[in-house]
Amino acid sequence: MMTQSAPRPPRDAPHVLIIGGGGTGGALAHDLTLRGVRVTLLERGEFTSGTTGRHHGLLHSGARYAVADKESAVECIEENQLLRRICPGSFEENDGLFVAITDEDMATYDDFVRGCTECEIPFTELTPAEAVRLEPMLNPEVKAAVRVPDGTMDAMRMPLRFLATAKHHGATLMNYVETVDLLVEGGDVKGAVVHDRVSGADGEVRADLVVNATGPWSEQVAEMAGAHVPIQPSPGVLVAVRGRMSNMVLNRMHRSGDGDIIVPQRALSVIGTSSWTVEDPDDLDVPEEHVRRMYEEGAKLIPAIANAPLRAAWSAARPLIGSDEAAGSGRELSRTFKTIDHANAGIGNFVTITGGKATTLRGMAETCADVVCGKLGVNEPCRTREFVTLPHTAFYAEPERRLA
Amino acid sequence: MSDRVPGVQERGERGPVRRKGVGVPTSGWFDPRGRAIGGFAFAVNRITGLGLVFYLYLHLTVLSLLLRGEQSWNDFLKLATSWAFLSLDVLLLFGLLYHGLNGIRVALVGTGVVPNRQKALWWSLGVIGTILLIGGALHIYGSM
Amino acid sequence: MSEAGSTRRFRVFRFKRGDMDWHFDTFEVPVGPSSTVLDALRWIQRKLDRSLMIRHSCLHASCGTCGMQIDGREALACVTAVADLGGTVTVEPLANIPVLSDLVVDMEEFYARFPDEIGSTRASEGPAGAEVPEGIDAYERFEDCIECGLCLSACPVSATSDEYVGPAALAAAQRLLEEPRGVDPAGVLDWAAAPNGAWRCHAAFECTEACPSDVNPAARIMQLRSVLVRGGAKDGAA
Repeated sequence: MMTQSAPRPPRDAPHVLIIGGGGTGGALAHDLTLRGVRVTLLERGEFTSGTTGRHHGLLHSGARYAVADKESAVECIEENQLLRRICPGSFEENDGLFVAITDEDMATYDDFVRGCTECEIPFTELTPAEAVRLEPMLNPEVKAAVRVPDGTMDAMRMPLRFLATAKHHGATLMNYVETVDLLVEGGDVKGAVVHDRVSGADGEVRADLVVNATGPWSEQVAEMAGAHVPIQPSPGVLVAVRGRMSNMVLNRMHRSGDGDIIVPQRALSVIGTSSWTVEDPDDLDVPEEHVRRMYEEGAKLIPAIANAPLRAAWSAARPLIGSDEAAGSGRELSRTFKTIDHANAGIGNFVTITGGKATTLRGMAETCADVVCGKLGVNEPCRTREFVTLPHTAFYAEPERRLA
Repeated sequence: MSDRVPGVQERGERGPVRRKGVGVPTSGWFDPRGRAIGGFAFAVNRITGLGLVFYLYLHLTVLSLLLRGEQSWNDFLKLATSWAFLSLDVLLLFGLLYHGLNGIRVALVGTGVVPNRQKALWWSLGVIGTILLIGGALHIYGSM
Repeated sequence: MSEAGSTRRFRVFRFKRGDMDWHFDTFEVPVGPSSTVLDALRWIQRKLDRSLMIRHSCLHASCGTCGMQIDGREALACVTAVADLGGTVTVEPLANIPVLSDLVVDMEEFYARFPDEIGSTRASEGPAGAEVPEGIDAYERFEDCIECGLCLSACPVSATSDEYVGPAALAAAQRLLEEPRGVDPAGVLDWAAAPNGAWRCHAAFECTEACPSDVNPAARIMQLRSVLVRGGAKDGAA
């Protein structure tokens, strides 16, 4: 089972330092490496240990955003279809259902269907009886259901494929290396001051350009260079209960709310999520009230959830783009992503890529890599749309020796 | 311009390997924390196996006394009927029963005949073995 | 972690590359009724000792990265409740795999034992009676194994041998026999019949005890052996 390969970046290629080893950083390392750029990536913990590893594992069809956030919806469906080609075998391709339970839900039906049409998200309308035949544990009071191309991913292992591919093509990936400060000389970022947790040693990594890909921590890192990123960390609680109660992803058809999605994860069912805003994404509670709400709302989609034993309850912080003024619960902010070139604020060699969703990791990396390569004078096109990534197990194998 | 991080370059070296137990790797077999029936059965099987090999050596040594004539054999018999020695015989019986019955269990489980019944087998064969051991012990001591 | 009052003592294994030897550090950690061991370790890292190295990702027993020995038993720290443990909790990295630092082991050594191909997705046994939607052949799901390494740490044979491929690798191979997904079974059987393969297992079943994901590796190894015994492999060496 061989995939394509690419030459390693030459020794005199420009060197980019990526801070942040989640899905975005990993996909960016992959994209830049294929464009011939030398990449060093630093992650303070295990790869994907920030927000990326913690989400429920939804491969978004975008239908959830088809009404109120069409920009996000379109990004999602494009990347959804693309990811299945470049990460084959990394998804449970069982599709998903949007389910109307109450009359209020039904009132949103027409808007929902129209939104999917406008965003070009393929969908099929089902009768309640058909929906229950596909998902026998669904609430029998379902009034309507629409099938969409949702899927399930392993939240860590899918991004790990991008990291594996980048590593095998010459990128230097370092986990357990924390960025303590940024080196700024003459208004330009020159690199990072780091602490290696493996050895306990401190050091520096210098590069021609630094990319901040730290998700909800983007503002904290940007401040090290005196830059500003309008990021609003917005955590939510997720609950995993024992029992695989569906094969399809089940979504509640209504305007965004708490606990309205259930994603199967192996022998567990994950119910998500809630939403509030915080200043510090390292300081996340798991409010008991939110855990109860996940059970209550989840049981409206699958009644058996009410009695399902709890496996885990945890919080993860979304990286929402917006300002403090715009934040209420955090649900009003867009889920789209943004590349910020801090040269516009007088800080050179420093770019932030933030916002976004797990599903759009490759697309985020492409737009950021375009900006980075533009700044470095690298004239290579993006190759990640067609490049089939290595399996996640390749991440743990030594890169093969290549000649030159 | 350096782009190396001190300390990280040495990650190629292997770090220490944690083993259960107290330094000697096989001592980890006897650490009760985190051990269930199967692990315990495995460990005792090894002890009884070694014990039986040692017994075999003893047995052959004892038999070699016959080469030295009747008197040494008679001396040995006096020892062999003492209370302490008979207790060793009971211990030997335990070893034979445990190793034999557990061996049946391992054979059944280990060739995929009943792979999911290992705990039930351990307990049921254990009951049988205990009955046989008690019966045997009574018989052995009863011969005094 | 914001609940009232109680604290728990944690004895944590420490080792940094370049140290002469390892040691234990003791920390007092505030805990609440639903705190997990991982919550406590992350609190220590954040508030008391930034140099502590821990591995985690999903926080819900799906990624397998937070495996360690807690009071001598293999467990995933993210789903081990502090409330179920005693007054002092001892935390060590997994056994039988080289330590990178502190509580993190080098998983390269774990993955190196696997056969070249392992399946990631498989047919879903799912909720009973589910029909499959049009356009999809069968519902699929991820394999149970989350590659956490708890089984390798618990295995008494792996305690004394670094060459034995171990329970996770053998269970993955058996799954390929059960559901080939395009892989040639003969190759899998040859791999399993090799000297450090299925025959080095001695049925201690500690791997199955330790597995947090119901893989039941021990039974799978026995099933693999049953295939080998019935002449599945054309390998004279068995």
